[in-house]
Amino acid sequence: MAENPQDQNQDIHFQVIHSIDGQEFKSLVQASLTWLRTNQQMINSLNVFPVPDGDTGTNMLLTMQSAYNEIAESDETRIGRIAHDLAQGALLGARGNSGVILSQIWRGFARAMDNLETMDADLFVKGLVEAKNTAYKGVVRPVEGTILTVAKDMAAAAEEAAFESNDLMKVLETVVEAANESVRRTPELLPILKQAGVVDSGGKGLYIILEGMLRSSKGFSLETPLVMVQPIEGMKLQNVKESVEEGQDYEVVVDFKPEGNLDLHNFYEGLTEIGTSIQVGEGEGMYRMHIHVETDRRYDPIDYTMKFGTITKVAMENLIEQTGGIGADGKGLEVAEIQPGQIAVVAISPGDGISRIFASLGAAAVVQGGQTMNPSTEEILRSFENLPTDKIIILPNNKNIILAAQSAASMTVKSVRVIRSKNVPQGLSAILRLDPDGDLDSIEKQMDESLTDIETGEITTATRTVQINNVDVKEGEVIVLHNGQLIESTTNLEDACFEFLSCAGTTERERITIFYGANIDRPKVNEIADLIRSKYPKQELEIHEGGQPFYQFIISVE
Amino acid sequence: MAELNKSLGNIYMSHYALATIASESALESYGVVGISGKNVVNGIAKVLVKDPTLGVNIEFENENLIIDIFVIIEYGTRVQSVANSVSENIKYQVEKSTGLTVSQVNVHVRGLRISYTD
Repeated sequence: MAENPQDQNQDIHFQVIHSIDGQEFKSLVQASLTWLRTNQQMINSLNVFPVPDGDTGTNMLLTMQSAYNEIAESDETRIGRIAHDLAQGALLGARGNSGVILSQIWRGFARAMDNLETMDADLFVKGLVEAKNTAYKGVVRPVEGTILTVAKDMAAAAEEAAFESNDLMKVLETVVEAANESVRRTPELLPILKQAGVVDSGGKGLYIILEGMLRSSKGFSLETPLVMVQPIEGMKLQNVKESVEEGQDYEVVVDFKPEGNLDLHNFYEGLTEIGTSIQVGEGEGMYRMHIHVETDRRYDPIDYTMKFGTITKVAMENLIEQTGGIGADGKGLEVAEIQPGQIAVVAISPGDGISRIFASLGAAAVVQGGQTMNPSTEEILRSFENLPTDKIIILPNNKNIILAAQSAASMTVKSVRVIRSKNVPQGLSAILRLDPDGDLDSIEKQMDESLTDIETGEITTATRTVQINNVDVKEGEVIVLHNGQLIESTTNLEDACFEFLSCAGTTERERITIFYGANIDRPKVNEIADLIRSKYPKQELEIHEGGQPFYQFIISVE
Repeated sequence: MAELNKSLGNIYMSHYALATIASESALESYGVVGISGKNVVNGIAKVLVKDPTLGVNIEFENENLIIDIFVIIEYGTRVQSVANSVSENIKYQVEKSTGLTVSQVNVHVRGLRISYTD
């Protein structure tokens, strides 16, 4: 969240306020209402899914409006009475989930005000604590990362601040800061927010309400809305694609480095005239802008952004083309249908061909990922959360992904087992032990045992000159890994294959399986296959298109 | 039993399964503090139930689901808003996870729990 430009570097010293009465409180609430109205659309835009709370900003605003209406004409000076009337109005006008929670917050706050004349810092703290307690009372299973969490963090910050100071405005300032921080953390607590790349809308609304009070007491404007900026990594743009507006056919994403300080408000304003679904992300001095536009205007965002800085990257996609296809990862992959109660296998796959093989062997979901392109915990979690069973086995198929898989396992209520498969052949060997109707523990055990039955070779090109395991590697040479350990560096692929096959004791084994990568063509593969066949005539040889990047060959011997 | 046609055969969903989804969705809704038994007589309506089928009734009509749910709501919340979000949440969750269409969700408020009297 960026402050409005006019706020920056303003260091206004306002006088210490020890307590306020009902009328003063009323004018603070009026400021909240105005500030909430100003930012209504911004809060509405923090939409995650098409359930109840679609219009959080509007719902909270209508609730606050109804609350304020109860006190607007009142000349009552006792804060206790004003707070009670306010809470009553909020209750009567509560709209939507967030409105109901907000009315509970005011109800708790009012209870703390009791019948008192004025509110000092201590009473304000008590009000926030009661507000939090009452809000939590209203739900059996409080979900963290929502408005409830923000209310809780505000109460905790207020309690601390009141130790330091008895200046009401000082305490309010600390509370607003804490609310802002808390809102910022909501995606860490609630995965669905992280997936959508937004913060919690109800929490944001509560922050706005408190911030409105602070702004008015500092004399800041309440008319110019805040502009949303999120961290770049939080921008999960594929979710935005699900809602393509009529006529908005193109998605344009522009990365740029602004010249000097970016006037976000101004920048945003211009974008709203070009298109819809606007998002702006920020990270390490760089900004990313996302927008949906009409076909004719697809170059406008680029021209426009150029006025603000140096463009580093542009991506443009035709949304109408895309909505015909399946999700980005799926690519029409036919995965096994899982019945409730069965065991579902989630496989991480580095290439399309390997994905198809896993799918044909009964994987219920395949997540793209491998060396240098590790899938996130969220991607793994998402792959199985919607499967209609709670017995899940994950095959990470890369040692760098095991940890992400384990953390995905710890974030769900489903029973998830992570098999420590460090490469694709181990994963394939494991999935062959799958019996969807079997016992989860015994299948897990069988899969674990299967990992050691197989010898794996990976053949790739060295990207730098180095010495590992007493093997001298020169950049550009072909290197061979046997069960993950570097064993040889040679100048050609054939030698690399034979080096592995002899290390793996192939003469004692029955079958050789080769998965060839995206960086090698079929004739070359056939040529090498013929050589292997003539050297190991007794072993069965299978060749599959793996489609993995970087690795020319992944070979298994069993 | 709800039935979904699939190319390879049929999927049957029991009332129990559907009731579980409905009652879990209700309990996630803000303001709902419990599921009440649908058959309990007045006076002891506040008896909370664990078994989801006891507080949820599911009927089928023209391939659509009609769901009745019996809930206890926190005193001091706006009952109408809470009930609205309960029905929206149930409709969304049941349709999302089963692919069936929910035509009606009737929310029966069987009681209020009083935590604070104000």
